[in-house]
Amino acid sequence: MKLQRLSLSLLLSLIGLGSVAAYAQQWKPLDPAHVALKAPIVEKDADAEALLWEVYINDNTDTTEYTHLLRVKIFTERGKDTQSKIDIPYLKGVGIKDVAGRTIKPDGTIIELKKDAVFDREVIKFGGFKLRSKSFAMPGVEPGAIIEYRWREISATSDNYLRLYFQREIPVQVVRYYLKPLAGAMYPMKTVTFQGASSNFVKDKDGFFRTEMTNVPAYREESRMPPPDQVRTWMLVYYAPDVRKDPATYWRDLGRQYAEVAKEFMKVNDDIRRVATETIGDATTPEQKLERLFNFCRTKIKNVNDDASGFTEEQLRKLKDNNSPADTLKRGYGTGTDIDFLFAALAQAAGFEARYAKLGDRSRKFFDPNFTNPYFMRAYNIAVKVGDQWRFFDPASTYVPFGMLRWQEEGIQALVCDSKEPVMVRTQLSPADQSRIRRTARLKLTDDGTLEGQVRVEYTGHFAVSMKEEYDDETAEQRETKLRDAVKERLSSAEVSNLKIEHPQDPLKPFVYSYTLRVPGYAERTGKRMFLQPAFFQKGIGQMFATSTRQNDVYFHFPWLEEDLVMMDLPEGYALENADQPSDLGFGELGHYKVNIGVTQDQRILQYKRELRFEGMMFPKSSYTALKSAFDTVHKSDNHALTFKQGAVANVKQ
Amino acid sequence: MLKKLLLIVFALACLSASAWADDPPAWLRQAAASTLPQYGKDVVAVVLYQESRRIYEDDGRVKTVDSYAVRILNADGRAAAHAVASYSTDSEKVKDMRAWLLRPTGEVKSYGKKETSDFALAKNDVYNEVRARLLNAEDDAVPGSVFGYEITTEEKTIFTQFTHQFQRVLPVLLSRVSVTLPQGWRAESVTFNRDKLEPVVNGTTYVWELRNLPHLEAEPAQPEFTNLIPRLAVSVYPPAGKSAPVRTFASWQDVSRYTIELSDPQTVYTPEMEAKARELTANAKTEFERIQAIARYAQAVNYISIQIGLGRGGGYRPHAAAEVFSKNYGDCKDKANLMRALLKALKIESYPVIIYSGDPTYVRPEWPSPHQFNHYIIAIKVSEDTIAPTVINHPAAGRLLVFDPTDDDTPFGYLPDHEQGSYALVAVGDAGDLLKMPVTLPEANRLERTVEAELSADGQLTAKVSERSFGQAAVDERRMFKRVAKPQYLKTLERWITQTAPSANVLKAEPLDDALAGKFALDVEFKSPSYGQVMQGRLLVFKPAVVSRRSSVFLTDTKRKHPVVLESEAYSETVKIKLPAGFEVDEFPEATELNQSFGNYAAVCEVKDGHLLFKRTLVLKSATIPVEQYTAVRSFFERIRAVEQAPVVLLKK
Repeated sequence: MKLQRLSLSLLLSLIGLGSVAAYAQQWKPLDPAHVALKAPIVEKDADAEALLWEVYINDNTDTTEYTHLLRVKIFTERGKDTQSKIDIPYLKGVGIKDVAGRTIKPDGTIIELKKDAVFDREVIKFGGFKLRSKSFAMPGVEPGAIIEYRWREISATSDNYLRLYFQREIPVQVVRYYLKPLAGAMYPMKTVTFQGASSNFVKDKDGFFRTEMTNVPAYREESRMPPPDQVRTWMLVYYAPDVRKDPATYWRDLGRQYAEVAKEFMKVNDDIRRVATETIGDATTPEQKLERLFNFCRTKIKNVNDDASGFTEEQLRKLKDNNSPADTLKRGYGTGTDIDFLFAALAQAAGFEARYAKLGDRSRKFFDPNFTNPYFMRAYNIAVKVGDQWRFFDPASTYVPFGMLRWQEEGIQALVCDSKEPVMVRTQLSPADQSRIRRTARLKLTDDGTLEGQVRVEYTGHFAVSMKEEYDDETAEQRETKLRDAVKERLSSAEVSNLKIEHPQDPLKPFVYSYTLRVPGYAERTGKRMFLQPAFFQKGIGQMFATSTRQNDVYFHFPWLEEDLVMMDLPEGYALENADQPSDLGFGELGHYKVNIGVTQDQRILQYKRELRFEGMMFPKSSYTALKSAFDTVHKSDNHALTFKQGAVANVKQ
Repeated sequence: MLKKLLLIVFALACLSASAWADDPPAWLRQAAASTLPQYGKDVVAVVLYQESRRIYEDDGRVKTVDSYAVRILNADGRAAAHAVASYSTDSEKVKDMRAWLLRPTGEVKSYGKKETSDFALAKNDVYNEVRARLLNAEDDAVPGSVFGYEITTEEKTIFTQFTHQFQRVLPVLLSRVSVTLPQGWRAESVTFNRDKLEPVVNGTTYVWELRNLPHLEAEPAQPEFTNLIPRLAVSVYPPAGKSAPVRTFASWQDVSRYTIELSDPQTVYTPEMEAKARELTANAKTEFERIQAIARYAQAVNYISIQIGLGRGGGYRPHAAAEVFSKNYGDCKDKANLMRALLKALKIESYPVIIYSGDPTYVRPEWPSPHQFNHYIIAIKVSEDTIAPTVINHPAAGRLLVFDPTDDDTPFGYLPDHEQGSYALVAVGDAGDLLKMPVTLPEANRLERTVEAELSADGQLTAKVSERSFGQAAVDERRMFKRVAKPQYLKTLERWITQTAPSANVLKAEPLDDALAGKFALDVEFKSPSYGQVMQGRLLVFKPAVVSRRSSVFLTDTKRKHPVVLESEAYSETVKIKLPAGFEVDEFPEATELNQSFGNYAAVCEVKDGHLLFKRTLVLKSATIPVEQYTAVRSFFERIRAVEQAPVVLLKK
């Protein structure tokens, strides 16, 4: 009887599998209207459009099986060029099977993709890592044709989280997912849709659930846009217990669980106490104490996750794992997590309340506490109570100054984990003057329009972090080449020499570079005049927003401040003909743009001061025109030219 | 007991073999001891020793041992600490790949299979047998280290020719290549980019050697490195009369016969193909139009590359035309061969042409070999009625029109600029020969632009830009137009306009591609609210060069090591700007005329009937300018840049 029941169950499961396999073996009926279709439906200028994009996902077994089908209408030669060649990359542990394809020509003729036209190639192999690809070219493709292809993908692993995308690089008429959820899963399946109308799964046949979207535009990237997961339409499928709590209760409970786990890694022993005391030394205020502990962690402990840690691959392989803050302290190295926990332990040893804090990463997705699942809460910091405020610290990010966090973690909700009363607190957002570019130039303009002299550029805050991350693992020669190229990119005739870079790896000091410059033809000359753009640091830089239309919102990563001071010796025999200067510009609460131009009484030295402060970060695309207009005005003001006339009488105000 | 003893002996033997395997070879130790000359700061590493030994078997099999030693001089040179072996899976095997790093401390690290990655070289091809093995010691190679490797490969190919590059860009102390041949075989060599290098022959071993090769620095607009680096081309021949499974080439006629042998059987056409050829040419009135119709069809065949059987000549053999016709895809030789088959169906004779795409100076007549080419095009026999810039006269085949069906942007009757002037093999069987491809004049590839604009007293400019491009200039425009979807193309135009006209709002953009006639038209209208700068309400300053030219040569360094390579270009522009009432012209850029052997430039401004007229013309000839004339070339382009930046000053009356 038992055997009989088992057989029946096996039979039933085979029937289920059989239907997916059958699906993988046959084409869906073709709509004659699609064959006759002459122009795209979803986006009028599209070169190709997916008529149907279907994916069957069988999460019901030990493996996860995907059956993909894509049916694409080709409208133009460019569509033909971009869609005809297919690569299906796959890694070890994934199998690609039953690849089939066909082309339906505009006259209805069908050309099948031959089995021997599908190549399996090893793209790269290194140690245990192997990337392969099934590659093929669709036969007989021409504008007006429909291409369709399908394949089965069997993944040896099953994940609690599935990401289903609804947008492609071309527009899609119908995208449809079929999903057979994990059988016997501990928790029920749930879904959440981002940037799209909530699209629930409905019951379909053979144990599958179905969801679909229609007329989905192509996904396109633009500069200064929010992260892709915040822009494109996608769905997260996950297995989780039913949350019958309000979000606040959910996060509180989760915070308690995290706190229990983190407690183990924040233990204080005598060594920790001793080092905390020694490090704090004569510091008196909480701020001073924390800063010393923070700087200790990022300067005395090597971060093995950092590419500039100085460890070779071989050395990294031999390093022992740390099991406690004491281990990290003793060995002088640790992972990012080890270093943050050491900081927490030191802070506790110094009498502070320190907690493990979980938070999102806004370079990936903006965290929304109403989504009661920890999936997007992947980052961590250490929260320390100063007075009655929680402050957040991340000494593992070596170059992030005291008081700041990585920009990705600033200004977002963080869960301060506590075994009794976890709280959701917004992390600090560093104001513009903490991320500053300060540029100074002491230059001389000769009467042939050549500009020469000394230039210095200093970065702090998030700018410095970004520059140090970019330059810390590069050689002195590479750094020089990069910076020299950057200057020449905007001033093509520039000759750069004596380039010096200061503190490229120093966590405590700003990132600075200086150089000697000579730019022939910097000022433009006519017979009796010379035209000079005093905004030396902006010369040759294009508009921030060059195009009149925008598809996505505009997103600046952090508030910033630019301060420029240019002092320029002027050539003899020339006098300033126009002494007007661009007007200041106010952005309300978001900042300002200020320029001040002055010339000494004897007209020999020009002083140009510029300040751009911008605190704005997120702008919906509906405000693009206004935002563009503001930055266009800044650009125009930066390009403001002064006119000097040969032998003219001075016509200036001091 | 004896068994135990044997086991111990065996284990010891294994250990000693393993230790030996980890020991750097004597040649590496010797190379590491080399005394170095003084190098400049820009030299990041120096190759101490580079040797390639090729040992031939009677059946054509070749075993190659490559040895290499490089000293890392500074941290930038660490990237030189790697070994690469490229191979084709059908005919080559990497038998052994070992490397060592001799640290300045004296410590030695050895590398083997564990540190080796293997990857496909042509990632965009649907399939390609060419792969590479890479062993990278970059992370370990501190300055002062010497990195060395030894790679053993075995090859079974029908070809007996090869080229050898004596260096890349790093300086080299000693570079050597040798071949060891079976009894009775012989080798011949040709030297490129330097005086003839004679081998030292010892028995059946030929050795070519160079010492103290200087560092090669990259410079803008320089010749390709393959035209600067000393190279050797070697042809190996089995004894006359002895049959060997190899293919040798002693003359261009040999290469021609081989090309035909591989191509002609693939030009068989089917009734469907014949019908298609007739359908395509049904409305054609002239010979030119008939061939053009077939050419356009071949151009539209999708470019897809599948490379199989490379060691057996697969790289030179097209797929059968019927197969390509049915799949509507193929690579360069497939497209050209399909075109030949369709022409054949119409009784129009044609020939394969093999060429090097990318550098017109790459192919050298003194070395007959198919290995000099990387591309396959076609030459069609035409009558006197057909006139086109790419018609050549072949001594045996007569008038031939050369065409590249792979480049779907270059219309029939033209050749892509990177193929013009190149030597190419026109495979006319026994009469096949290397011929120089035609070069079109700069004027045939010109860009003509007119700008009609109006400037208002507050500096706003409203402008209509009309561009008409011909020949290669039209190809460049067409490529930009076709490469991206329409919305992206319009954004590209906006970016181009806003380079010179800040905050410009593009009101209209109408591209019109007439590929058949080799023309491209673009009409753009825009408004720039702050084009002119008003100064104290008295002066109005603006630049008469309203939009930028599409290409520029930037030669900013004062010193030069390599010749300057200029590409052919012709450009003319007339700008007419209606000036605002109440202003008079106080200054405008002075007239400039620059005449050099490689090009001419003129710019002139005048004021007439309340309008400013600005005209500029540029004609550049395709040329390689020797280093001695660098100052003149640099000054030529600097002057142009200065003139085009110079503003017009209007004064309020």
